[in-house]
Amino acid sequence: MADPAPPAVAPPRAPSFVEASLRVFDLTLGQMLWSRRTIFLALVVGAPVALAALFKALEAAGLAGIRVSGTRVAGPMVFGIFIWVLYLRFIIPVLGVFYGTSLIADEVEEKTITYLFTRPIARAAVLGGKYLAYLVCTVLVVLPSVVLVYLLMVPIRGGGMASSFPSLVIDLGLLGAGLAVYGAFFTLIGAWLKHPLITGLVFAFGWEPGVLMIPGYLRKFTIAYYLQALVPQGMPQEGVASLLQSVFRDVPSTWVCLLSLAVIGIGSLVVAGWVVEKREYVLEQ
Amino acid sequence: MPIHDQSYRRYAGAREQLGNAWLVIAGSGIRGIIRKRRFLGLLLFAWMPFFVRAIQIYLAANFPTMSMLAATAETFREFLEQQGLFVFLITVWVGAGLIANDKRVNALQIYLSKPLTRIEYVAGKLAILAVFLLLVTWVPAMLLLLLQMLFAGSFAFVRANLFLFPAITVFSLLQVLLASFTMLALSSLTKSSRYVGILYAGAVFFTDAVYGVVYSVTDNSSLSWMSFPANLRQLGDVVFRLRPRYETPWIVSLMVVAALIGVSMLVLERRVRGVEVVA
Amino acid sequence: MTLAAFAPAAAAPIVEATALSKWYGQVIGLNDVTVSVPPGVTGLLGPNGAGKSTFMRLMTGQLKPSKGSIRVLGEPIWGNPRLYFRIGFCPDQDAFYDRMTGLDWLAALLRLNGYGEQQAGEAARRALETVDLLDASGKKIGGYSKGMRQRVKLAQAIAHDPDVLILDEPLSGMDPIARRRTIRLIKDWGRAGKSILVSSHILHEIEAMTPTILLIHNGRILAEGNVHQIRDLIDEHPHTVYIKGADPRALARRFLAHDDVLSLKFEDGAVIVETARPDAFYARLTDLAASGEVGAVDEVTSPDDNLQAVFKYLVK
Repeated sequence: MADPAPPAVAPPRAPSFVEASLRVFDLTLGQMLWSRRTIFLALVVGAPVALAALFKALEAAGLAGIRVSGTRVAGPMVFGIFIWVLYLRFIIPVLGVFYGTSLIADEVEEKTITYLFTRPIARAAVLGGKYLAYLVCTVLVVLPSVVLVYLLMVPIRGGGMASSFPSLVIDLGLLGAGLAVYGAFFTLIGAWLKHPLITGLVFAFGWEPGVLMIPGYLRKFTIAYYLQALVPQGMPQEGVASLLQSVFRDVPSTWVCLLSLAVIGIGSLVVAGWVVEKREYVLEQ
Repeated sequence: MPIHDQSYRRYAGAREQLGNAWLVIAGSGIRGIIRKRRFLGLLLFAWMPFFVRAIQIYLAANFPTMSMLAATAETFREFLEQQGLFVFLITVWVGAGLIANDKRVNALQIYLSKPLTRIEYVAGKLAILAVFLLLVTWVPAMLLLLLQMLFAGSFAFVRANLFLFPAITVFSLLQVLLASFTMLALSSLTKSSRYVGILYAGAVFFTDAVYGVVYSVTDNSSLSWMSFPANLRQLGDVVFRLRPRYETPWIVSLMVVAALIGVSMLVLERRVRGVEVVA
Repeated sequence: MTLAAFAPAAAAPIVEATALSKWYGQVIGLNDVTVSVPPGVTGLLGPNGAGKSTFMRLMTGQLKPSKGSIRVLGEPIWGNPRLYFRIGFCPDQDAFYDRMTGLDWLAALLRLNGYGEQQAGEAARRALETVDLLDASGKKIGGYSKGMRQRVKLAQAIAHDPDVLILDEPLSGMDPIARRRTIRLIKDWGRAGKSILVSSHILHEIEAMTPTILLIHNGRILAEGNVHQIRDLIDEHPHTVYIKGADPRALARRFLAHDDVLSLKFEDGAVIVETARPDAFYARLTDLAASGEVGAVDEVTSPDDNLQAVFKYLVK
């Protein structure tokens, strides 16, 4: 073995919070993109594309009648259904739960958290970097999937791509915002609670759909309430639940929605950072 | 003799017959889980609908003005469907780590180095989940039927709806077997229980969401077979002699459920091994 | 006698624990520990479950004390990330980002220490060369053997040239040659001025690295200081002395005349004595050997003046 190393040149200063977060982001992005979670991510965002391709093929072959409430409809309406039913109600929340609750929990379970928490950087910066990696990873995968679905579905039955383009831009923006806000909220859940997955699932698939059907102020304690208000396409009527939701739906203004989402997102991240700084993570022996 | 041997002594007691080891796995697993207070809280919460229904049955039986609350076969069907949420939560809570945790700490090798077959290991793990799921499905539903008799003070309802006994049993078993086998199969695929939980949740909600899109776009409920929960709902309607809510033939729904259980068994057969064979 | 007595007069302790306790629910990990670890190489010794890893995790700020306090390099460690510039920690768990190469992993961690990209790469290479892993630096950690994984863990602890190294079971999983090299490395780092706290439950490993120990058992400190002086202080266990000579029986007759000799037994050409007062015994033995009255004395050793005996006597 070689002799002890000569002293390295000491770094001039500790990395700032942002620098540290970016360095953690660098470290984490590769891990996240090439992990087995990516298989799940690919399946989840690939399914709408596959479904859209199937509908397109069937429509082109004259085999399927795409109809809503018994009426044959054009592509933009179908694209709207995809946005509502698949992306907004399922894909965005599930990715938020899946990644957000695991940002720190995965490192604790794998016992690699030790290496990150014994560096001269704030623990909150570690969380910040991992959250950024989650956001980039999911945005880079989900938004292209939406664009592909748009390209496949909108031209059906003479749907105008130029006229629907502004809606696509809004959809991309709101889905990106959804990923950011759900991710931030579930990051807080993951940093704070011992069983974040159950809590996350109950919130995303129990609390939110349930409360949105009930008139009153409770719906303001959901993320879906603000996101759904921003969707340019109309809400599809699939059954009693969505009928109730549409009857009792009140739509806040765009600014209220954006501000509320920002408050939820940034607030969740700030509190999550505080929790991570104060909490001790006991590794399984 | 005056000086006793302090060295290793062979076990001289009676031994259980081979084939009962699954009971040991099940027993220790169940004891481990019921020690957690939060889980007991969830179990208690899962019994709330039972208490609500029990009050409903009592009021209907004892107050003529409340007769519109009287139980029908559909009441029991609805009760079991509502318990589906707790079936999901308990499956994720209890089931996600059943095999995944053993894989993570390399305990699978230790288990299978004992005089214990893989079938016994899987049966033991299955029993852990099945016990808790039956506790929130079959047990409260049967108790409700019993309460119906007790509060009404007669066997009339039961005689008129004798099929409810097998119906409740069959539907509960369908719910429990489908949830247990699929969750156990997913748990055998990975070492992370969290990953298993999300995969299971994804499978359940994703298939429902995809069917939701397909139904919205085609107005055709004959494709409900693609949604796992929808298949169970369809079978539940048939078992309780109600009008099926989807156009899918019930035999197709049954085949999908059977196929899921079959595929899960295949996955368990491949994944539950003492060593991983790397080609 | 405390560990601090072995430190140079002006040197401040690297770790100071005051009434430090840590419990996990009903389980006590560390129980009212008050100790100061001086600069230099110190061995933290104890059986499995004694509290060594808990103590190290408290020292490295991963756990918060349930009671009491702990200071590293004069400052509280919890919530004080600046201190990590000067601390290098090698944990006991075998956990890595398996998809990364050794070089990439080290460089990424060095970047978190504030190194620039080029600096990080150079420092990473130096550290890997020190632990003899430079050839495997481009290979994914997932493909490393157990010994290589242990060495890359050591490399990440030293890469940023810290003043203090806290090494939790650093030799675990290494083959005998790698162990010997690592022990030599630790001694070299100590001579180079680093302070090192190294834990193990394997006595001869610690003995090979340092005579200064901290003995821990059931969450309590049993003893601290130089192993030989600790041994001297364990009065209730008599010292065993092995003397090989030309006439063991003559030696034995002379020894029996004194009441501090508790027992005698004979072995092939030697007599083994148990004495309650070793200092007086050695003085008499020296005089006897010099006088030539009992023939030549060829060998004198003390089989229990070592860490194993200290451990056995204090723990059992």
